[in-house]
Amino acid sequence: MNTNSNVYTVIYTTVVVVIVAAVLAFVSLKLGPAQQANAKAETLRQMMAAAQVASTDELYASNNDAVLTLYAENIQEAYTIDLDGKKVAELGITKDNIELVSNLKPQNKAIKAGTDATLPVYVFKSGVSVIPIYGAGLWGPIWGYIAFQEDCQTIAGAYFDHESETPGLGAKIKDEPWFREKFAGKKVAFGSDKLFSLAKNAEATGADNAVDAITGATMTSKGLNEALNVWFKAYEPHISVGALLAGIADENTNAEEE
Amino acid sequence: MAQKLKDTILNPILKGNPITVLVLGICSSLAVTVQLKGAIVMALSVTIVTALSSLVCSLLRNTIPNRVRIIVQLVVVALMVILVDQILKAGEGTYAIDKQLSVYIGLIITNCIVMGRIEAFALGNKPIPSFLDGLANGIGYGLILIVVAFFRELLGSGTLLGFQVLPASYVPNNLVILPPFALILLGCIIWVHRACDKDLQEK
Amino acid sequence: MKPIFEKGGKLYWLHSTVDAFETFLAVPATTTKKGAHVRDCIDLKRIIILALIAVCPAALFGVWNVGYQHQLAMGVTGTFWANLWPNLWFGILKVLPLYLVSYIVGLAIEFGTAQIRGEEVNEGYLMTGFLIPLIIPVTTPLWMVALATAFSVIFCKEVFGGTGMNFWNPALVARAFLFFSYPNQMSGSDVWIAFKKGETMLDACTGATPLALDGPAQYGTGWWDLFLGTVPGSVGETSTLCILLGAILLIWTGVGSWKIMCGSVAGALLVGFLGNLAGATDIPCYMQLLYGGFAFGTVFMATDPVTSCQTECGKWIYGLLIGMLCVTVRLFNPGYAEGMMLAILLANTFAPLIDHCVTTSHINRKAKKLKAA
Repeated sequence: MNTNSNVYTVIYTTVVVVIVAAVLAFVSLKLGPAQQANAKAETLRQMMAAAQVASTDELYASNNDAVLTLYAENIQEAYTIDLDGKKVAELGITKDNIELVSNLKPQNKAIKAGTDATLPVYVFKSGVSVIPIYGAGLWGPIWGYIAFQEDCQTIAGAYFDHESETPGLGAKIKDEPWFREKFAGKKVAFGSDKLFSLAKNAEATGADNAVDAITGATMTSKGLNEALNVWFKAYEPHISVGALLAGIADENTNAEEE
Repeated sequence: MAQKLKDTILNPILKGNPITVLVLGICSSLAVTVQLKGAIVMALSVTIVTALSSLVCSLLRNTIPNRVRIIVQLVVVALMVILVDQILKAGEGTYAIDKQLSVYIGLIITNCIVMGRIEAFALGNKPIPSFLDGLANGIGYGLILIVVAFFRELLGSGTLLGFQVLPASYVPNNLVILPPFALILLGCIIWVHRACDKDLQEK
Repeated sequence: MKPIFEKGGKLYWLHSTVDAFETFLAVPATTTKKGAHVRDCIDLKRIIILALIAVCPAALFGVWNVGYQHQLAMGVTGTFWANLWPNLWFGILKVLPLYLVSYIVGLAIEFGTAQIRGEEVNEGYLMTGFLIPLIIPVTTPLWMVALATAFSVIFCKEVFGGTGMNFWNPALVARAFLFFSYPNQMSGSDVWIAFKKGETMLDACTGATPLALDGPAQYGTGWWDLFLGTVPGSVGETSTLCILLGAILLIWTGVGSWKIMCGSVAGALLVGFLGNLAGATDIPCYMQLLYGGFAFGTVFMATDPVTSCQTECGKWIYGLLIGMLCVTVRLFNPGYAEGMMLAILLANTFAPLIDHCVTTSHINRKAKKLKAA
């Protein structure tokens, strides 16, 4: 048979491509749910690590089912808000309604464009509310979860992740527990010009809303600083008008009455 | 025959090592050798992809139209790479490693070793020797990857496979973590390899 | 006792070591036996000794400055003369170990490789070993210095064939190794001033406070302090004045190329000025010459005859490249405060290419002329 004829070539390539496509489609169909479950569990681990539901090591040591159970036990409610701070929809607290990281990118764009973003808020039974942040690092996207205490100002915990920051430098935002631990207890200055700052020698100023940047990872730190501020700003209306700030609002009215 | 088969297997690991002698697959060996775990997974992935692609291409070798043979090879390799990537993503234990290796699993497709072995060996040999050749080349690649990653993780983080092995007083060396150092290490390995094997030295 | 080291002698294997010491200052009695050789009274050893003398003012000042910065940080008052000897003594105590480590490690490797190869030991390391302690913070731990020295001698010099064959400046490679390996010990605000054990900085110290950081972050200190060099910084790099003295000696004896130095200064001024125009910085461009390691790098590192350009026109290009790159890194790269090291290393890399282009274009021009004639 002449394997070099045009007809043969066309038919041959077509057949090969169709077979390969079929195999890939089949595999994707078969493995899809498992992959989805992994991605969801990963998101939940990061969220719960920020909310201090369990320690990071514990979360990463437990399997997907255990993580889902833990989440179901601890979550109180989850909903999305728009940029005006109004509640848009209930997210539902079943495992099917978890916002994956891939959804944060369009939200990040929407925040910057000022169009209708739907930003998730997760309230845990411990009273801690978790919000995501997302931005650009040096080599690729960076994201994370920030957990607020009931006063909606004090950070209870944080978790950061990245796609491809430099190992040993930018990757420290994820790899070094001391970095995320520094966020706990800090207060975001909602209502002021500078919500939060992650900069060189920032702690030296003694401000409550500042954390030192990572030495040697200037660009990643800068990106994280921007991500934090952009997303905090987006949640600011919700925090000042919405249920989240209820506690503080009450205190303030009490103070005025006196 | 037995001797030939033995050569097919041993040559890529020692005298014709794809990294230290043919200097192929350098970019991935710089990128994924920061930690031993990642390097091992990468080594396994490349070995599987090379072996299976060689096997499949060798099976098809008499039917592939010559004009489009590179494209057909590429499709086969791409299929294998995507399969490996999908399986890694689906496994509960391997998901985190796949995330850490990020694009480099997908980039196995551009690894010169895979296409090189298909072009140079699988298209002219029977399936079983081709499979073994691909396997051996993958192992030869993986071996170097693991050696480099061993030193980089040890010196750069003081750990091996994530466990602290050097005392806590050890100050991790940041340069070791940066890709250029992998190149220096590779140079050292080539140095040692050539010093041990006189056949490799240029006159 | 000499014959036993000669060919066939019992201790012949040590001949390279013996040669090295014998010819260190004395001219050997052997003469060339065949062929015509152009010889000059300036050979490698004389060049290196001249260069060493040129660095001495900066080094001595650096030693004193280590003590002076310590005095400022401790809040000790008193006149210059009253504190001169304590400061010098403190500096010597801090800098001498750096020198010892640098020379012992570097020379051990040099002698070792010379022995293995059966070659003569080259003096190149005398200069490198003298420069390494001058371009690192005085607080650098000694084991780091040893590691960096070993790395640079092996990987920057010996693997390329020893003195004269390296294409990067070995002292700078040692610094680059430290800089990328241990950024915490090599930059930041608290590495530039040495303390005795248990001492901490006084809160209210005056003058050039240790808030001044690496390189161009010495902002805020006046230009006179920067020119004199009474600011924190790597050991030998702070005093532009002393470096100028060295530069004069180098240019006068012809050891260092004035073209490279001028090119570098011009390049730095140019980019500094453009940066001013573009609003990237409000530092006047002439201050770029005083900050950080610019002066030291320009005079002592960029002019290294081995790693710089050989052609006359190439020297200008090479110098310009260094000055421009240095200030570009300072002004436009947020990651690195100081760019001199990176600039020189990059220019080192390009030096052979520059030479190649210059000679090729020269040959082409001549060929055209020949054709026309």
